[in-house]
Amino acid sequence: MVGEILGRVLIVAALILVAPISSWSADSDSASALREIKKEIRELAADRERAQEKIDRLEKRVEQLESENAQIKATNVQLKTETVQTTEQVKTLSQAVELGPSPEGMAKAFHEYLGSHSFTLTGSAGMDFVADQQSAALNSISHQTQNSFFLDFEPMLLYRPNDWMLFEGVLSASFGSTGTGTDLSSAIFYLFPNDYVSIVGGLFDLPFGDWYEDQSPMWVNKFVSAPLPYAVEAVVPSSELGIELRNGMQWGAVGQDLDYTVYLGQGPGYSANVPGAASTSPVGIASKQTNGKSFGGRFRVYPIPLDSNLGRLEVGVSSYDGKWLNGKWLTSWGADFAYMLGSLQARGEWVESYRQMPAPFKQDNRQGWYVQLGYYLNQVNLPGVPDDINNYVHRLEPLIRYSGVNQHFVDTDDIVATTGVEQGGLQTGLIPDFGLSNSPALYAPHSREVAFGLDYWIAPSIVWQNELDLELPRAGGTFINGAGMTSPVGSVPNDKAFLSQFTIGF
Amino acid sequence: MKRILIALILATAAFGPITTSCRAAEETKSEKRQMIRLGARLWPVYCAQCHNARPGSEFAPYQWDQIMMHMRALPNMPTQDARAILEYLKDGRD
Repeated sequence: MVGEILGRVLIVAALILVAPISSWSADSDSASALREIKKEIRELAADRERAQEKIDRLEKRVEQLESENAQIKATNVQLKTETVQTTEQVKTLSQAVELGPSPEGMAKAFHEYLGSHSFTLTGSAGMDFVADQQSAALNSISHQTQNSFFLDFEPMLLYRPNDWMLFEGVLSASFGSTGTGTDLSSAIFYLFPNDYVSIVGGLFDLPFGDWYEDQSPMWVNKFVSAPLPYAVEAVVPSSELGIELRNGMQWGAVGQDLDYTVYLGQGPGYSANVPGAASTSPVGIASKQTNGKSFGGRFRVYPIPLDSNLGRLEVGVSSYDGKWLNGKWLTSWGADFAYMLGSLQARGEWVESYRQMPAPFKQDNRQGWYVQLGYYLNQVNLPGVPDDINNYVHRLEPLIRYSGVNQHFVDTDDIVATTGVEQGGLQTGLIPDFGLSNSPALYAPHSREVAFGLDYWIAPSIVWQNELDLELPRAGGTFINGAGMTSPVGSVPNDKAFLSQFTIGF
Repeated sequence: MKRILIALILATAAFGPITTSCRAAEETKSEKRQMIRLGARLWPVYCAQCHNARPGSEFAPYQWDQIMMHMRALPNMPTQDARAILEYLKDGRD
């Protein structure tokens, strides 16, 4: 197109050069020709102008295309880069998927899914078989020799609305001679306002010694039965309704701790106003025995540093005092220890109480104690025995416990009627229907008992426990009924019993 | 009785104000590792003081949060030791 225009321009120019010579020869023709030429020139100029406009448009289009091309190239480079990055990300994600979610990530996601308020159900359950052989029956009291199965189920609900508040509720359901009984064992609010103190309020196990709070759950107690001082006619009440202030702290090296608990409570209550009656504490709110409150405290110290490898020793003292009937006082105190070194575990307690009595009785005095020893065989390899057998041996824990009570009276009404549940939530582990003291010595004044145990641990909280109880040949004490009639001293038979229990802590 | 109640209230106040966020403080990874190491030392000793030490795999981390609140209060375990054991139990699920 452009070449054609240029050709026309050259021809016109040549004609212009030739034209004057012709015009001299013929003026009229020349004028006509000149007009034609001028017309041609105007047309050519117009053509040239249009061509130039077209050239400009094309140049702009070329620039635009070049710009677009550059953008496409840049985009292409970017895409290539992103493709590499995406490939790396996919590779990383694939590796992460193969590895699975981290516990922290999973916990965070799970926590967010569940919400900040969360529940957990723990607790314990156990099934017993008890073969109890009583040497003789007593007049007016049913013969307690028996071979019976027992069942106890104690679920514990934990509810945590935030990181400084917890609610705990424990129910107890057991099947005994009178059918299935249920009981509210504890219902406790825990508040943790700071790192230095815990506030506990509600119906709680008495923070007295180690037994009620720490050792009474079925799977925690190494034996099937409770030691005599903490059985049905316990030396001190088992629970309180009130408020506690408590905490522990490190006073030396790691492992050297101390802890304290002080509390106020509703006050102790008893099944009857006679010596030896079973505790039903805390007293009912509407009870006539609520004319006084109780207070108590416990202090424990752990003197051995963790790094000394000398084991862990706990030494503690406790007290509990309160008014129970028309302002009459119950005062009690105790001392305890626990020691653990590797496979060896030992613990013991001394407990003593004095209860003022209404006339005609003077005082209800009780003392009790126990010492127990256990040794895991998890490190013992019997020589010449196949590994399979040794693996069974490693799960065994032989135990021995000596316990006793000096309780000068036992209420016959309690003997006939009591079970752990019916006595108002006496949480001393599984309390079989036989035996006030949880001993084969059904009637416990001045009783002494040796218990041999053999536990087979299936898992840390699943155990098959076996126990042989022997009542030492020491009779004494006096039975007393609800009307205050006493029996002759020395009318207590001696017993022996075998107990077997399968229990789980969940 | 009133005096005892007042004494308890004053003792509570003296120990410090109620704080809801002190236990939610951010911890660095190295601090957390130190806590886990301390928890690993304390776990077999402190737990076995009363019962067999149960492994972290038995409960979910959110359940350990609840259980360790219970276990901090019941034996009156020092707070920092309870946190160390809690971190160890949670970490023990790996």
